[in-house]
Amino acid sequence: MAQTSLALGVEAVGCAAFDAGIKGAFGYPGTPSTEGFEYVEAMIHAEPAGRVAQWAANEKVAYDLALGMSYAGHRSLVTMKHVGLNVAMDAYANSALTGVRGGLVLLVADDPGMHSSQNEQDSRRLAKFAWLPVLEPSTVQECYDFTWRAFELSESLQVPVMIRVVTRLAHCRGLMARRDVLTPTGLGVAPQDTIQDWVLIPSNARRRYLDLLAKLPLMAQQVAPLNRLIPGTSRRGVALAGMGRAYFEQLSLEYPELLSLPRLEIAAYPMEPSLEKDLLAQVDEIFVFEEAYPVLEERLTFLRGNVAIHGKLDGALPRTGELTPRLLKEALGLKTAEAKAASDLQLPLRAPRLCEGCGHTDAFEALREALKNVGATDARVFGDIGCYTLAAQEPMNAIHAVVEMGASISMAAGAALAGQSPSVAVIGDSTFGHSGMPALLTAAASGANVTVLILDNRVVGMTGQQPSMALDQVERMVLGLGIPEAQLQVLTPLPRQHEANVQALEAALRHPGPSVLVFRRECIQSLRRGVLRDHDRELKACTALAACQESHS
Amino acid sequence: MTSARIHGIVLCGVGGQGVLSLAQIVLEALRRSGFHALQSEIHGMSQRGGSVHAMVCFAEVPLSSPIIDEGCADLLIALEPLEALRYVAMLKMNGHLVVSEEPQSDMEGYPPLEQVYGALKAVRGCHLVDTEDLARRLSHKQAGGMALLGMASKFLPVADGIWREVITQRFEAKGQRVIEKNIEAFEAGQGLVQATVGV
Repeated sequence: MAQTSLALGVEAVGCAAFDAGIKGAFGYPGTPSTEGFEYVEAMIHAEPAGRVAQWAANEKVAYDLALGMSYAGHRSLVTMKHVGLNVAMDAYANSALTGVRGGLVLLVADDPGMHSSQNEQDSRRLAKFAWLPVLEPSTVQECYDFTWRAFELSESLQVPVMIRVVTRLAHCRGLMARRDVLTPTGLGVAPQDTIQDWVLIPSNARRRYLDLLAKLPLMAQQVAPLNRLIPGTSRRGVALAGMGRAYFEQLSLEYPELLSLPRLEIAAYPMEPSLEKDLLAQVDEIFVFEEAYPVLEERLTFLRGNVAIHGKLDGALPRTGELTPRLLKEALGLKTAEAKAASDLQLPLRAPRLCEGCGHTDAFEALREALKNVGATDARVFGDIGCYTLAAQEPMNAIHAVVEMGASISMAAGAALAGQSPSVAVIGDSTFGHSGMPALLTAAASGANVTVLILDNRVVGMTGQQPSMALDQVERMVLGLGIPEAQLQVLTPLPRQHEANVQALEAALRHPGPSVLVFRRECIQSLRRGVLRDHDRELKACTALAACQESHS
Repeated sequence: MTSARIHGIVLCGVGGQGVLSLAQIVLEALRRSGFHALQSEIHGMSQRGGSVHAMVCFAEVPLSSPIIDEGCADLLIALEPLEALRYVAMLKMNGHLVVSEEPQSDMEGYPPLEQVYGALKAVRGCHLVDTEDLARRLSHKQAGGMALLGMASKFLPVADGIWREVITQRFEAKGQRVIEKNIEAFEAGQGLVQATVGV
């Protein structure tokens, strides 16, 4: 009998990848994708048999690791959040041209409603952009089943296949029935006669682009069984994808009259327009329920003829934010339930904030005082992505720009080159390793007058204290990127170090060129959980041993 | 014949209070009781001391939507009284609220406590629980969540034995003592039902 257990949607993707015989899983943490990697990582640690699970310094590196593993003939999984795919886009778009050897599945978790993100971009669009297949599950079991299917499709079509989930499914916990586990066997390295396919110099790339476009009908044909049109008797129809499909299905339990609506269920792209045309031929109007961008809706609008299309474009649904069962009910004119009256007491928002005793707070307090002391109370500080982003809120107001991973240093350098002084960047250690390094290399080379604070809490704090690639080596990284030793200071963000930290910051702010201050204190959450306990014990033992050997030599 | 009636539970509190952990216990208990059940949770920034909520849906038929619409929840379990007020409109007219009296008031603009209690007492089906007193009596600082669950169990179709099984499994890694303390807190919450609700 199939083994069943409760799992989150993204965990089901990780589990299916393990069961489908991957040799390795790679990723960069990002809500709501993180648990997908962590689940398969735990499975691999429990039963390695030559498998590996490796967080990467950023999403592009993670993707390239997966592509290399595919080149070597093995199945691999790579996980990231939607904006992470922007970072990996170069690798993703070009891997469409090289194609794959071992099956390569990319899990991307979109975040409509921006629960934990800076935008709500739709990864289905990026799959289309790269001319690659994307599967969109709507239940935990489909997350599992579609991932298996994605590996099979990837190997049969010889292209990477994306699994797109959204926050509600990523973090939906439900039952998952597993299949028998495949052991990673591998197809062998990409054969000699395919080497030119992998070398994307223009002459090869032109040929491979034609090859890719020629595969499109085959892609559509092979994913087609995941899409279907269910006939109905009504002249109103619905087109459903992802959570829109999940919500509609459940609503039909409560409102059986919905079963008379012809419904188009889309779970895979690319697709031929035949199902859409069939639906359009039997209705007068169509409601489109999909999450994030109006992808299906635009296609139907283009094909519609005299049929009215209702969705995000005509205002039947909000243009932004998350889809909800309530929005479906309202659009379809279903009767909503009578609810208890909400309290008329004003309820102030309870915003997330830095933990009690967090080192970031001490670093920001020192920065505020140092800026005041150098007469720059209205200085603009460029922030980055991580827990410390919370300092942009009241009452701290310590950060005045947050755009994307790694932007702080380069934006501060750009502003400095425009004459802003002081020009300050604040970035975490993991974000520094992710994409801050090329920015600091550039800042150092340009000589821009920037002051960079690296808040080193030794882990990826925000997403659950995953290991930071920069652990124990931030100073060496900074020096290697061209910051002179005299302009690098390592400080401890503690209240009792406040005066010393303010002084060090003032000196850096007054220095007319790039300078870096590393504020190092372990994340109190990771300290509480003992995340680095073994690591630090080993480190201490090694240091003691080295000192001992030195004194005896 | 199986019924298509869908039941909903909302759990809420403040990041770090264990809302998600409680939701997982409820989900597992319902699953073991033979229901089809789904849970929705939101991770990430909300974990840093912000408002947190989770939803659990269950039915005798397979479900596909993990979220509950306004007016469709049967039960609200709130680890914090102000947070409870945010979700009142999620409840059906005859829904129940099991709410901890213990405020997490370390934030801007927390209303006077008597106003918060007043607003809660005005809601029919609201059961306020003095978790602070209970924790003191049990000498168990974290007893609150489990006691609320014990009280809420009155409104859920799960047998006592299953609750005990699931709680035991949940705290297995932490040893027998922790398991016993949590079951004790759960039972204390069940005891409160007879004492204060009288349903």
